Amino acid sequence: MGKIQISASKAFALHFLCTAALAAGYCLARDVYALSLVSDPAQTLRLLLLFEGPVVVGIYSWVRRDPDCCSYLKAVGRGLLGLPIGASINAFGAIVLGAPVGIKYLTKTIYWSFLMSLFTFVPAACVFGKSRADWQHILAHSKPMEVVDYMISLPAHGAVIGAWLGAWPMPLDWERPWQEWPICVTYGSVAGYLVGMLASSVFILVLRRQDPVKVD
Amino acid sequence: MAPMGSKWALIRPFFLILLLHSLAIYLFTRGFLLTRTELSAYSRCSDLSHSPCSPVHNSSSHDDGRCWTKPAVDRLVIIILDALRFDFLAPSSFFADAKPWMDKLRVLQKLASGEGSSARIFKAIADPPTTSLQRLKGLTTGGLPTFIDVGNSFGAPAIVEDNLIYQLNKNGKRVLMMGDDTWLQLFPDHFNKSYPYPSFDVKDLDTVDNGVMEHLLPSLYKDDWDVLIAHFLGVDHAGHIFGVDSTPMIQKLEQYNSILEKVVDVLKSQSGPSRPHENSFLLVMGDHGQTLNGDHGGGTPEEVETSLFAMSFRSPPASSLSILDMNSCKLDLDGEKICISTIQQLDFAATVAALLGIPIPFGSIGRVNPELYALSAPTWDGQKMGTNNCKSRSNLEAWMQNYANTLCLNCWQVKRFIDLYSATSVIGLPSEDLHHVAELYAQAQTSWSNTKTSACLSENGISNEAQDSSASILQLQINAYSNFLESVAKLARSAWTEFDLILMATGIGFMLVSLSIHLFAIGRANIACRSYYAVSGISAFPFSLFTAFLLVIIRAASFLSNSYILMEGRVANFLLATTGILNLRCSVRNGKFSKDEFFFLLINIIIRYGIEFGMSKQTVGSTSLNTQSLNILGIYEGHPLWMMLLEMLPVIMLSLLAILLYKCTLGISCWRYLKYLLITGTIVSYMLISVHWVLESKLIALSMVIQDIGRNLAPRIVYAVGLGLLISSVLSRILGQKDRNLNSIASLTISTISMLSSWSPAILILLGRQGPFVGLICIIGAWCIIRSKNEEQINSKSGTSGGFVISPIHVTQWNLLAVCLFFYSGHWCTFDGLRYGAAFIGFDHFNIIRQGILLAIDTFGVSHIVPILSLPFLVTLHSQNSEENKAKGIVFVKLTQVFLIYGLITSVTTMFAIICVTIHRRHLMVWGLFAPKYVFDALSLLLTDVLICLASLYYY
Repeated sequence: MGKIQISASKAFALHFLCTAALAAGYCLARDVYALSLVSDPAQTLRLLLLFEGPVVVGIYSWVRRDPDCCSYLKAVGRGLLGLPIGASINAFGAIVLGAPVGIKYLTKTIYWSFLMSLFTFVPAACVFGKSRADWQHILAHSKPMEVVDYMISLPAHGAVIGAWLGAWPMPLDWERPWQEWPICVTYGSVAGYLVGMLASSVFILVLRRQDPVKVD
Repeated sequence: MAPMGSKWALIRPFFLILLLHSLAIYLFTRGFLLTRTELSAYSRCSDLSHSPCSPVHNSSSHDDGRCWTKPAVDRLVIIILDALRFDFLAPSSFFADAKPWMDKLRVLQKLASGEGSSARIFKAIADPPTTSLQRLKGLTTGGLPTFIDVGNSFGAPAIVEDNLIYQLNKNGKRVLMMGDDTWLQLFPDHFNKSYPYPSFDVKDLDTVDNGVMEHLLPSLYKDDWDVLIAHFLGVDHAGHIFGVDSTPMIQKLEQYNSILEKVVDVLKSQSGPSRPHENSFLLVMGDHGQTLNGDHGGGTPEEVETSLFAMSFRSPPASSLSILDMNSCKLDLDGEKICISTIQQLDFAATVAALLGIPIPFGSIGRVNPELYALSAPTWDGQKMGTNNCKSRSNLEAWMQNYANTLCLNCWQVKRFIDLYSATSVIGLPSEDLHHVAELYAQAQTSWSNTKTSACLSENGISNEAQDSSASILQLQINAYSNFLESVAKLARSAWTEFDLILMATGIGFMLVSLSIHLFAIGRANIACRSYYAVSGISAFPFSLFTAFLLVIIRAASFLSNSYILMEGRVANFLLATTGILNLRCSVRNGKFSKDEFFFLLINIIIRYGIEFGMSKQTVGSTSLNTQSLNILGIYEGHPLWMMLLEMLPVIMLSLLAILLYKCTLGISCWRYLKYLLITGTIVSYMLISVHWVLESKLIALSMVIQDIGRNLAPRIVYAVGLGLLISSVLSRILGQKDRNLNSIASLTISTISMLSSWSPAILILLGRQGPFVGLICIIGAWCIIRSKNEEQINSKSGTSGGFVISPIHVTQWNLLAVCLFFYSGHWCTFDGLRYGAAFIGFDHFNIIRQGILLAIDTFGVSHIVPILSLPFLVTLHSQNSEENKAKGIVFVKLTQVFLIYGLITSVTTMFAIICVTIHRRHLMVWGLFAPKYVFDALSLLLTDVLICLASLYYY
């Protein structure tokens, strides 16, 4: 088939790298630059973006679906192209759901939607390119899922659902600073992303137990 | 199935559910929205002979013109400053920190400060609900108006209970009223003279106040009145629009300060012996408080605490009595000592009646307030105390004797009311409490007869000790009476401001029963559906059913928090957008990206901005749509071209709607007459609507006659045309029943269209200029929902998902869209969210039924009437596309299913609103937020049920 078969351990490693990049960005923001998501969301989101972006694009381009006809650089290019597209889709979704619009929120919305794009759209863009069947398949869960499918689909869905749930506390009258857009939504999406990666690891383990031959 | 039998079998559940819901709502409302029976008994002067109090001097009492009590004041000036917070009047030294709006009424503060002053500031504590009408009612009747009356705020009905104004009128006191015209609605023909000004326009800070000012000072010099009531509204309106901490509010307070200064000056200058104000009494008071945002209605301290200033102009000055002082004293700004007492608003009616010497209103349960009563205490020296030939008693003792006497009457009157109330009222009062109260009364009365004798005995012995002991005996007696009156007030508060949990629980129980019947009916409809499709056993729990269920539960559960209720429109929009995104994801998954889904999301964005705009109006106060939308566009008033465009835009939209409708109606092949009638009717009424708007906008200068035609005649014709169309479509449906069976789907579509087009003109004109936009959004949204349905139906090959022919998620979307439209069209779930202006389109004068109907159509038109009546589209437009016309009955089974699901969604949300209101019944915002929400939800549930019943009768 020519596909890169990834073992479970590799998948774990990839997930770990993504998490580590997020954690590193967060720690750097907190300890070195003394930024917090609550007080200055735009800068923190930018730092997270700088750390997470290269890691995600690099890793997922490496596990691209069609390594024969598509070089590593091309996959990276696909990922970089997918970043703004995914960001605009995410921003549109957020605005439809009621995210505030205005000059005050512009930068925050942009950074947030880029981060969401990294969680959702970019991995798929790197791996699948413009293969329509694969995109549909990842949304429909129709065919038997492979390791890469789990790795892309579950964290992405987790991030979106997390962000959706994260918007819930926003109208409450607790008057906390983190109820501002996009702080709690970011928390929600990061939490959802992490849960999604955990779930994908579990699924990969289950998959290997069911079908040990194929993985090795 | 036989056609007729099946028809009734399909309709029957709707009526059963309507019945159960009405029962549940009735029971719950009885328990939650407290009701009080109004007694029609009145107090009379001659009743005194039945009382146990000082029966001996009865004979002489009629000679000197006294009635129940000896009048302590001759003339009374009541100045009501609506929504006067306690801290507007009380010196800032009583509060932790001084705020900009404090110490503005310095005149009154100065008068009240210092020793031996004949003026005093009170903290007056109102009982919720703190809306003006309820408070006026409470102040004049001395009772506790309940929340059920709040609905009457719109078009206040006259007070039928016994009240102060009635007593004044009956006892030959001439009452002069000026200011808020609510008084005239409450007391239509009790005033000798009145200068009412409309209280309707909240934006108008000055009309009422200027009117009152014009008449107040001249009237003070005249002597053709005994009681003067001047009601200023400026502070209330300033609070509603700008909030408490605002320049207009401070300006208003400063203006009042200068008015009051003049009033006091006039009264002082005229207060000499044998001058008009020889023995006058001035009361400056608020009817309720307000929060910092200017809201009131609830039971928070800010709303409940208002202030009362009382001053006696008696000459010679009243002997100042420092008795019964339980007040707090502090130094004011000038370093003078100022004392503040507390009074319950409940006591107002009794105290004023006692001061003026008129009978206490029959339904009053208040107590004559000692401090207020003492302010005008006359010097008793040299006066005979009725039967007691008691000489040379101290002033204090004489006053106490008099006060005890008054309290005796007061208690007797309250006891009489309680007895009659518990004997005649439907609900009555708890018997053990009644027993307790009766015991207290008996105790007080027996000790009273002892006191009288002992007091008289002590008169003869003039020793000091005897005097002291008689004073203490009187004090004991006063305490005994106060004790009785306090427990009566407590009992009354518990009966009229507390909830009946058993009734509430029964209501909830009936709601639960109706929910299970609903589910059962849906199950039966599903079985009926399956019999048509002959698909056996689909047991898979479909994703769409799960999503719909989840969305409804999320929305319903959101009512548990007050913030989500405030943001209800946003929540509904969020969930609607979620369904849109899910649908989009679904269609992308299936490889065909449809434009409709995308349009649906765009519509969502528009709705969202509409709702946000509506909410900003809610917080800011109702300002006109025109200027707001101008400001949003960044354009300010005055540019003629923009103004013209803005005026024309609704008209253009309206013509777009008309074209849409025309196209729809053209498709009707049968029923020729109805078709032409519909087309001409709607087009004529749409033209009239645009004429109305153009003439109203004052763009074109025209003569008054044409203006008047445009303002009043055009809307009336529109309503008439709408009614005519409605009747003709119903008639044609009944008459055309024969050929209906030929093509049930087509005929269903036609009846739906004719129904909608006959409702549309009235709803559009009532919504005003935003109407056409709302209509277009409604149509586009509904179209997108219907279209997205087709996608899904094609995908699921069996055609049924979990037994549902109609995917429940579409009905949910339909419901959410309806909720969004409610908020989009500028409504929200409080009583000031009603668009009262809409009720007066086409009419200048108020009529409770006519204006009520118009207001109901405006409020529920686009969110209930249109969505429910257009539900058949969900069935017919789908069935037209796919060929499923094999069995005729299937259409109606499907329609039943749709109606049932829609009803279920509404009742689940209402169910949660009821539960939430039960949980939060002690919440701070229960009267401000949860109770109105409950009322709106209960009304909309009943309306939904009724509409579904009517629609099923009409369509089937």
